[in-house]
Amino acid sequence: MAKEMIAMILAGGQGSRLYALTQKLAKPAVPFGGKYRIIDFPLSNCVNSDIDTVGILTQYQPLVLNEYIGNGQPWDLDRLHGGVHVLPPYQQATGSDWYKGTANAIYQNISFIDRYDPQYVIILSGDQICKQDYSDFLRFHKEKNAEFSVAVMEVPWSEASRFGLMVTDNDDRINAFQEKPKEPKSNLASMGIYIFNWDILKAYLIADEADPNSDNDFGKNVIPALLKDGRRMYAYRFSGYWKDVGTISSLWQANMEVLDPSHSGINLFDENWKIYSRNSGQPCQQIGSDADIVNSMVTEGCKINGTVKNSILFPGVVVEKGATVEAAVVMGGTVIKAGATVSHCIVAENVMVEEGATVGKMPEEGLNIAEPGEVATVGSGVKIGKGAVVGPKAMVSNDVKDGEEQW
Amino acid sequence: MVSSNANALGVIFANSYDNLVPELVAERTMASIPFAGRYRMIDFTLSNMANSGVDNVSIIVRKNYHSLMDHLGAGREWDLTRKRGGLNIIPPFAERSVKMYSGRVDALASVLSWLSAQKERYVILSDSHIAMNFNFNKLLEAHIESGADVSMVYNRTEIPDGARNDNYTIRIDANGRVTELLSNDYRPGMQNLSMNIYVIERESLIQLVRDAAVRGLVYFERDILARNLSLLNVRAYEFTGYSARLADMKSYFDENMRLLQPGNVEQLFDAANPIYTKIRDDNPTRYLEGSRVKNCLVADGCVIEGVVENSVLFRGCVVKKGSVVRNCVLMQDSVVEENCSVEYVVTDKNVHITSGKQLCGTDSFPVFVAKNHTV
Repeated sequence: MAKEMIAMILAGGQGSRLYALTQKLAKPAVPFGGKYRIIDFPLSNCVNSDIDTVGILTQYQPLVLNEYIGNGQPWDLDRLHGGVHVLPPYQQATGSDWYKGTANAIYQNISFIDRYDPQYVIILSGDQICKQDYSDFLRFHKEKNAEFSVAVMEVPWSEASRFGLMVTDNDDRINAFQEKPKEPKSNLASMGIYIFNWDILKAYLIADEADPNSDNDFGKNVIPALLKDGRRMYAYRFSGYWKDVGTISSLWQANMEVLDPSHSGINLFDENWKIYSRNSGQPCQQIGSDADIVNSMVTEGCKINGTVKNSILFPGVVVEKGATVEAAVVMGGTVIKAGATVSHCIVAENVMVEEGATVGKMPEEGLNIAEPGEVATVGSGVKIGKGAVVGPKAMVSNDVKDGEEQW
Repeated sequence: MVSSNANALGVIFANSYDNLVPELVAERTMASIPFAGRYRMIDFTLSNMANSGVDNVSIIVRKNYHSLMDHLGAGREWDLTRKRGGLNIIPPFAERSVKMYSGRVDALASVLSWLSAQKERYVILSDSHIAMNFNFNKLLEAHIESGADVSMVYNRTEIPDGARNDNYTIRIDANGRVTELLSNDYRPGMQNLSMNIYVIERESLIQLVRDAAVRGLVYFERDILARNLSLLNVRAYEFTGYSARLADMKSYFDENMRLLQPGNVEQLFDAANPIYTKIRDDNPTRYLEGSRVKNCLVADGCVIEGVVENSVLFRGCVVKKGSVVRNCVLMQDSVVEENCSVEYVVTDKNVHITSGKQLCGTDSFPVFVAKNHTV
């Protein structure tokens, strides 16, 4: 049974700039928005766009991600024909290789794609927060009779030189590609989301693999090769919320923006475009008599008896009486004991913040989501001892002893 | 969690004691009554069975079971979507004339051929009016070790007002054998109140039900056990953990409220024996500017802008600005518009309280608003 379009999600990213958060898990598995992980966004977009066959390309710390995806049931991707498949690199008769680049990752899975005999393949990134209707993107691709389309965002001209830019004509046909140029000729930044005609993609992947000098990368090699051959390439303009959460401050920022959908444009509360996730299966949140919760999101299994302000709490977080959490992203299973203060930071899963400890600090000029400044980070499983201090710039991935300070 | 499957199959009666809570079962079964914020009563028994390795479970339903079927689906959330065994829902079989079950014997008699075809040596029978965290394995072990014909579970408690006309209590000798089984006991003080959970060998259950059905008997407890206590070795098995028993509207309210007392949620929900339920993919709950929430049990998907105290909020409830909700149980998707005052109220699913309304019950008589109603 042929599929019209299948999706391939590039989820191999190590996320090295998220350091303390990605020691034990791949970036797409990083928790986000109270009960989600980053990968929930492309996966939910796929099912909401009626794409029922998805390959997830992993190679870095895949354990958490594999377990999380499981049989794909939470995303309705447990299908008889198709569904979601996690695709790590594997040994072949000709030898085995890690995925050398984004294009090579797809190349190594040509036979997976061929099983579904698709007309189109959409290549997605597993580390972006974005709600996008891929079926509308496909409609555009078909309308333009394109062989390749790329989703682009208009960015301010002043920032254009930080991006990979698509130079287009009046009909949105791409005639040049500039990778982080000094003198930008366009302000249409590539989102790293592509639709290819499968026959074209396959041919170019095979050619690219045969070239020993290639980096096997879509941006560096495959797209320039398509351009050189004068293929029908189009830029699809996307104007919704899109964020690459590659850094601690952008991850913190995106979480804070979830709390303010009317201004930020990221609305997770839309019944018509649900973001699905694997459920933690914990009982209801317990809000105690001394709790004070304002402008925050709290989810299942949490026990709150302290002050929580402008924060996002993941499943099973405990905030004891007299503890204060402000402008913080606190991931699942973390315990914040009495009298501790946790502010302007990201605290990963299963952290123990002991009594009277301090993590992070509110900026003196107050909360500014657009310009976050310093965001403290505590890695998963870390214990912050009694009265210990984790400074506003600190990134902690080892225990901090009682009374110790870390800046 | 156990490593192996129990040598017992489960039979759950979904409609027993429906008569005690007519308001709540107007459009559902006892088993599908929402409880504790995000669960339904059946979730407790079913999860306990699944966690105990009882993975061949049949639910006998009598009427009003659409909501239950919707909730259970194929049993996936309880890990009971199995090729061998798994979840099985048994509605009344339309044979010549549709005959409703009137008692447990009747119901079991209608599934005798299915029961005969099963492989498990033991059968666990259970109702669904009690929420608790129960280990069926331990019960099964105790039953096998004792050599009893039947084991029945009870707890020491006062008889709830609502259950005075519908209960079983037992007297037990020094060896734990049941010497007397009383119907509709009304004595004050602590009693050995049956929890209506029984273990029996499958073959003997078939025999007992067959004999009873032939003689036109209806009730398993009154007509089979109580009459044969000298012949049958019936053992009592005491449950000493936390349990929430629904006996009337008042107890429904009280049992929800009791979960607000510190430590009770932890007793009912043991992390080692999770209670599973149907997933609705709600967002986390949002506490907006102006919210003031104290001493509450809140499910996901709620949006709170008002004051909520001493209450249980199910999934997707909304409390808008200027509203005060105290001592309430708001079931799924209830909406309290702006500037309302709502106290001692139980709203069924999808109730809409329009702005400026005052709704007030009392501790002893909470106001109930039926499903889908607008106030």
